[in-house]
Amino acid sequence: MSFATRVDEALADRNLKLAVERTAGTAEAKRTLAVDAFPDFDAARDRAAAIKDHVVANLGHYLQAFEANATAAGAQVHWARTAQEACDIVVRLCKAANAKSVARSKSMLGEEIGLPHALAEAGIGRIETDLAEHIIQLSGERPSHIIWPAMHKTREQVSALFKASHRAPHEEETIAAMAESARRHLREGMLAADVGISGANFLVADTGAVCTVTNEGNAELSLVPPRMHIVTAGIEKIVPSTGHAVHLLRMLSRSATGAPLSQYTTFYTGPKRALDRDGPEEMHIVLVDNGRTTMREEGLAEMLRCIRCGACMNHCVVFRQIGGHAYGGTYPGPMGAVLTPAFDGLKQSRDLPNACTLNGKCQEVCPVRIPLPTLLRGWREKSWREGLEPASLRSGLGTWAWFARRPRLYRAATATALRAMRLMGRSGWLTRLPLADGWTRYRDMPRPTEESFMAQYRKGRRS
Amino acid sequence: MTAAPAPRVALFVTCLVDLIRPRIGFAAIAALEAAGCEVIVPEAQTCCGQPALNSGDRKTAEDLARRAIAALEPYDHVVIPSGSCAATVRVHYPEILEHDSVWGPRAHALAAKTYEIMAYLDEVRGWRPDGVALPATATYHDSCSGLRELGIKRQPRRLLAAVDGLALKPLAGEETCCGFGGTFCVKYPAISNAIVGEKAAAIDASGAELLLAGDLGCLMNMAGKLHRDGSPVRAFHAIELIAGMGDGPAIGEEA
Amino acid sequence: MTARADILARLTGTATPAGIAAEAAALLIAPERPRVDPAQVEETFLARLTLSSVAATVDRIATLADLPAAIARYCADQSLPLTLCVPPDPRLGQCDWTGFTLHDRAAPDEPAALAIARCGVAETGSLVFETGAAAPMLPNFLALHHIVVVPQVVAYLEDATLPGAHPRAHYWVTGVSGTTDIEGTYVRGAHGPRFLHVIRLG
Repeated sequence: MSFATRVDEALADRNLKLAVERTAGTAEAKRTLAVDAFPDFDAARDRAAAIKDHVVANLGHYLQAFEANATAAGAQVHWARTAQEACDIVVRLCKAANAKSVARSKSMLGEEIGLPHALAEAGIGRIETDLAEHIIQLSGERPSHIIWPAMHKTREQVSALFKASHRAPHEEETIAAMAESARRHLREGMLAADVGISGANFLVADTGAVCTVTNEGNAELSLVPPRMHIVTAGIEKIVPSTGHAVHLLRMLSRSATGAPLSQYTTFYTGPKRALDRDGPEEMHIVLVDNGRTTMREEGLAEMLRCIRCGACMNHCVVFRQIGGHAYGGTYPGPMGAVLTPAFDGLKQSRDLPNACTLNGKCQEVCPVRIPLPTLLRGWREKSWREGLEPASLRSGLGTWAWFARRPRLYRAATATALRAMRLMGRSGWLTRLPLADGWTRYRDMPRPTEESFMAQYRKGRRS
Repeated sequence: MTAAPAPRVALFVTCLVDLIRPRIGFAAIAALEAAGCEVIVPEAQTCCGQPALNSGDRKTAEDLARRAIAALEPYDHVVIPSGSCAATVRVHYPEILEHDSVWGPRAHALAAKTYEIMAYLDEVRGWRPDGVALPATATYHDSCSGLRELGIKRQPRRLLAAVDGLALKPLAGEETCCGFGGTFCVKYPAISNAIVGEKAAAIDASGAELLLAGDLGCLMNMAGKLHRDGSPVRAFHAIELIAGMGDGPAIGEEA
Repeated sequence: MTARADILARLTGTATPAGIAAEAAALLIAPERPRVDPAQVEETFLARLTLSSVAATVDRIATLADLPAAIARYCADQSLPLTLCVPPDPRLGQCDWTGFTLHDRAAPDEPAALAIARCGVAETGSLVFETGAAAPMLPNFLALHHIVVVPQVVAYLEDATLPGAHPRAHYWVTGVSGTTDIEGTYVRGAHGPRFLHVIRLG
């Protein structure tokens, strides 16, 4: 399905619009309160960006330090160049553990590498334990937001999904009763799972710890009972120490939900110790590149600062109209419009960096100061260089640029254009313009005056 | 005003003002002269190159930037009645010509003396409209490039506060993009329409008679939507009111 | 080449480990954070606990000997039986648990679990735990009511971090399990505890 078709469907869906406004609008308001209450958020953003830049600049050093410390704590570290390699490692580990079912705690990297699909192919049962991911799993969809993956679902849709699949579903049609039904259903699955799979919000180099952040507590319930804990994490998730993680956690939760800190922040260091009462026997950490070293080499290093807070999409006028699915990739919104061409190829996703007004709001709210508009403009330049932009745009812009380089001819051409536009209407407004249907389909165009400014000025008009 | 000699100010009117609404250019001249400037309109100007820059046509953007630099650099200051065009010169020319050892430094030099008109009148000239009156209510939309790339927020409000009888009403979401986005509005018209539809509703809800902003592109988008929706709100570039031309035809009204 | 070698080959740098360490340390000097008045650490902690995002109830006891009575009060308030999952912590063995039914393995639908936090954090109202022989993790997530003894309070999250080698899990609990995943409506007790009761010791 093309981007245009997905956009048309999204714009026609009033439920989607209401859902996006409710979730993103609330997040926007809460973030504003949290940021206003923070002593010096701008300086904190500078520091957060500097921490991430420091890590990305010294990534090889930190990955090896992390590997050494995680290994010393008893974890096994694996490396994957591609999504396929990462999935293969996870499937192999699950099979070695003779896993019938895995409990997965929401991870965007897992979505990025297609892990749900790989587990299904391998015949391994999977339960998604984040409530929204559970809804998405039942509906067979992809997440529409990185923080609220099921934001596009109404309570009626959720109710129907739960009634069709939960053993003892809710009877009362309230959101609390639906959540309770999911609690019962998922708890059974989590306690019975053979393997728990999570992503990582941070990989702490100097301790070898993996940090997860949730509000539901589903990560801990998914990762403590099973025999094996597998982590899949992008290599850019490294921080030098817990102290650095603390700074980024302050930024992450405020930017995502407006909270000073998420409800559950856990640092897992290796598997169960000899005297521990619970925890997995084995811990495996899969460090995934999947294009990140290429991004670092090819002008997208700043994108590796991203801590996946979702603020850019919550504040994006385009996302607020079309929601997440229209973007067609794992990651929606402005950050997704930068990442998707890197993951899926520019040819398939050239619309994403273009479908943006470059208003700069995303950059203004980004906790790690990613220059998203600049990066999106970079993709546009690549798309232009590679000839992916439509011929009509290339020739139109080419003609305009030819005249713009020649002021005298430009004046003559604009005079002709003005005369033509004057003829298209009699009032002050033009309601149909043959070459600008995209404009006049939805709005009127002010009818230009008879002569351009430059023509009038040359004739001596000064006021 | 100071007794210093009048600065020679090049007015870069922008391609949209040149074609669609010349009176913004004449309002700019009037305000600059009232603020003690000698105004020159360089003949060689066409477009700052923003459409090429934002479409990814870097080569054309650089080419047009060099031409604009050559046309505008002989003057003390360059003033532009558009936040986004001024940001193109001030922010993006130095970026895109950074690799050019000849034009890079010239781009930086031009950027340092180029201003959006209201920022120039307010901050550089310290000027206020004197004896300008317009009994009306207005609401102000902060266009994105001016706001976020040049920090234009209080300058237009300070100037408008000196217009007698003009009352500014708050606009919900005044810093939210109107959905114009240059070529975005014709490349993705349905998304643009959804965005400007919400903006038009917010403008209507403000209860103001006039809509003001500092960028003609955004104004055409918002005014065109308001008119299509049958709203009575009339739209002007803020400099028109500041220059005492707020009693004339609004955008889309025949003179 | 192995994946590891391949990836690391593309990430070589010229910085020395000492240089990197110095730069990393410099990035932590005087971090921006919500200010906690050093004279008001205790009060700030208690105020944070009652924020809607944390939503804890609070009690105070002077010594651990008072703990069973405090828990009995809470259970009475909440109409809970005096049945409790208690970690095998020697400090708790000294309490007089007469009238209580105690166990140390949490059931899947455990009504209430007791835990001793290492400390509380005033900045956020967080409770800090580490796993160990006397401190299992699972009961703190399975129970509907999480009852936590807090023997000391520190000002900032940085003060709660552990130097040196880490236990299997080090975790911060800042409120009850919550979700806004269905229509943005906040629901308590999504997966883990629906109620958090803090008993400040000392």
